[in-house]
Amino acid sequence: MRMGKIDRAKRRVLRQAVADNLETIRGLPPRGVRPNVRRSRLWMRRLSIVILPVMLAGSTFLLSKPVTEPMFVVQRAAHKPITTASVSQPQSFASYEKVDPAALPLNVHRVVIDAGHGGTDPGTALPTLAEKAITLDIATRLKKLLEQGGFEVITTRTDDHLIPLRERAHIANASASDIFVSIHVNSIVEHTSEHGVETYYLGPTRDAKLTKLAAEENRESGYSLADMRKLLDGIYMDARRDESLRLASAVQSQLYGGLRGADPGLQNWGVKRAPFLVLVATEMPAILAEVGCMSNDTEVAKLHQPEYRERIANALFDGIRAYATEKK
Amino acid sequence: MKEGSKKMADSEILHVGIDLGTSRSAISASNGERFVVDSFVGWPVDMVAKKVLKRNVMIGHEAVSNRTMLDLHRPLERGLLKEGSDKDVEAVKELLRHLLRLVGVDGNGGKIPTSNVRAVVGVPAAALRTNKQYLRNTMKGIVDSLMIVSEPFAVAYGLDALLHTMIIDIGAGTSDFCVMKGRYPTEEDQRTLTTAGDSIDTNLHKLISERYPQANITIFMVREWKEKHSFVNKAPEKVMVTAPVNGVPTEFDITAEMKAACETLLGPTVETMLDLLSRVEPEFQERVRNNIILSGGGGLIRGLPEALQDALKQVGGGKVTYMQDPVFVGSDGGLALAIDAPDTDWEKLSA
Repeated sequence: MRMGKIDRAKRRVLRQAVADNLETIRGLPPRGVRPNVRRSRLWMRRLSIVILPVMLAGSTFLLSKPVTEPMFVVQRAAHKPITTASVSQPQSFASYEKVDPAALPLNVHRVVIDAGHGGTDPGTALPTLAEKAITLDIATRLKKLLEQGGFEVITTRTDDHLIPLRERAHIANASASDIFVSIHVNSIVEHTSEHGVETYYLGPTRDAKLTKLAAEENRESGYSLADMRKLLDGIYMDARRDESLRLASAVQSQLYGGLRGADPGLQNWGVKRAPFLVLVATEMPAILAEVGCMSNDTEVAKLHQPEYRERIANALFDGIRAYATEKK
Repeated sequence: MKEGSKKMADSEILHVGIDLGTSRSAISASNGERFVVDSFVGWPVDMVAKKVLKRNVMIGHEAVSNRTMLDLHRPLERGLLKEGSDKDVEAVKELLRHLLRLVGVDGNGGKIPTSNVRAVVGVPAAALRTNKQYLRNTMKGIVDSLMIVSEPFAVAYGLDALLHTMIIDIGAGTSDFCVMKGRYPTEEDQRTLTTAGDSIDTNLHKLISERYPQANITIFMVREWKEKHSFVNKAPEKVMVTAPVNGVPTEFDITAEMKAACETLLGPTVETMLDLLSRVEPEFQERVRNNIILSGGGGLIRGLPEALQDALKQVGGGKVTYMQDPVFVGSDGGLALAIDAPDTDWEKLSA
């Protein structure tokens, strides 16, 4: 009844909405991910219209010329439409990447532990303590705890040598792990009186300090600018980022809660986003935890103590376990 | 809550638009009735509770208020039906029947048989085909014909905003984004984030518990506080709330926690908005930037439209319009679709 009064644009979208529902009823996949049979058939028809006359003309032409002439006329005519038709395939599959995490209620079994820095890259280096040693020590303790808790653990390094960020991401991706946890220790030389914990997940930031921090952590990346562009274009934005945020929230909550008892002055700097390369290149939910602050003397004294490092490992374990339990 | 009451124009068919939300569900009907209920369904836990409540099932705010005596279910998660739980499926059916009863369908003195109801239901933009099929199966026997559309599309349709517009619909379970290009939106035109009202509640609950470990607070209290005091950027006032400590009502300042929790929404929302904008054909980007519509309960967060507008400055500026009636904007859009769809189409869409 009202149909006659609605404008053309509304009528068109309404028709499309109805068509979409009818496809749902028939159990067809969404248009974007379905091979376009009609279009392929149309191309085949067009192709035959182009090819047949060209083939006829070509054969007449070939018969009238010596055999030494190049035979590219038919090939050129045949190639163009085929290439155009085949382009739709990768575009169709790309749309599968936007998956709601709710549709993937998977358990967490395999965890990658990444001890930051190593070898010729010490991270923050003090006369008596280097970041690379602390991260390795905590990673080793965390590995033990996770294995006792029934997780399978992959580590990116087990001794003091440099693994480029590219290689770390490769280790994580090749092992088909469920989550990636990178361990680092902060240093804020402008504010030596402050110390706290913070956890990062992947995302752009407008904060100049975070950009600087990311640049420092990304130093030994092993990626070219072209690789970077590809990586950023291919980020599995929606679902992986949401899951990374959830993991980061769980870990940050346990880190702060678990360490505050031993260090009442500890500050909760929260969950933040920053473009750390190791998070960009990994294909699973990934976080980077800054588990302490080496620019603060009180904290450095604590980081020297094995019990405090064990406490950090325990807090990280609790965070991972909380996230894994939430996923069950 | 009841909104207006008019005589049904067509005595035979009732068209309805339903916004089936994780937190609240709204219905708008062609007879002029509009209702919103909390998406909670509860059954008395035992015979004693049943005797006290004198009801077999409770729905909405009433269910939340009596939750201690109920087996309480919130059957929608991230805007979708929870699968694998018969009780949750039954809860959704109860919720839908309740919404339809409110607008006069069957039971409770309602005069319109379910066989005369044509419904349009909004779901998150990224809902999969399987999610829609599941909803369709669940609604069998509850309505005659059913059309399922993406929630932001329903909003756009209801507002006649079908061209060069972006809808940002921030609900409890999901934040849905949709760029309208004069066609039914494809997957490329839409995004769904699970950073939404519920994730703010979870964050706020965590932050308050960390700062005031002695306070005894529930997620329901946190949700209520958020709905009253949420804001981003500059605090409009100090946020003071009362919660029991060892049974003694105690006042707490949660201004910083409220700000931190609400601002977790800002980053992902801005990022997704700018990402979708960058994918619009360059010559139309300015028009879309100046036609951004914020709807859903998230739009009630004070300072959010201004913060999104600030973020647009980095790409040349734009305008974010906030819907004054965010509760019914989705269901009204669904109703407009239901009314506009011709009978011939409805006949093909039987539930």
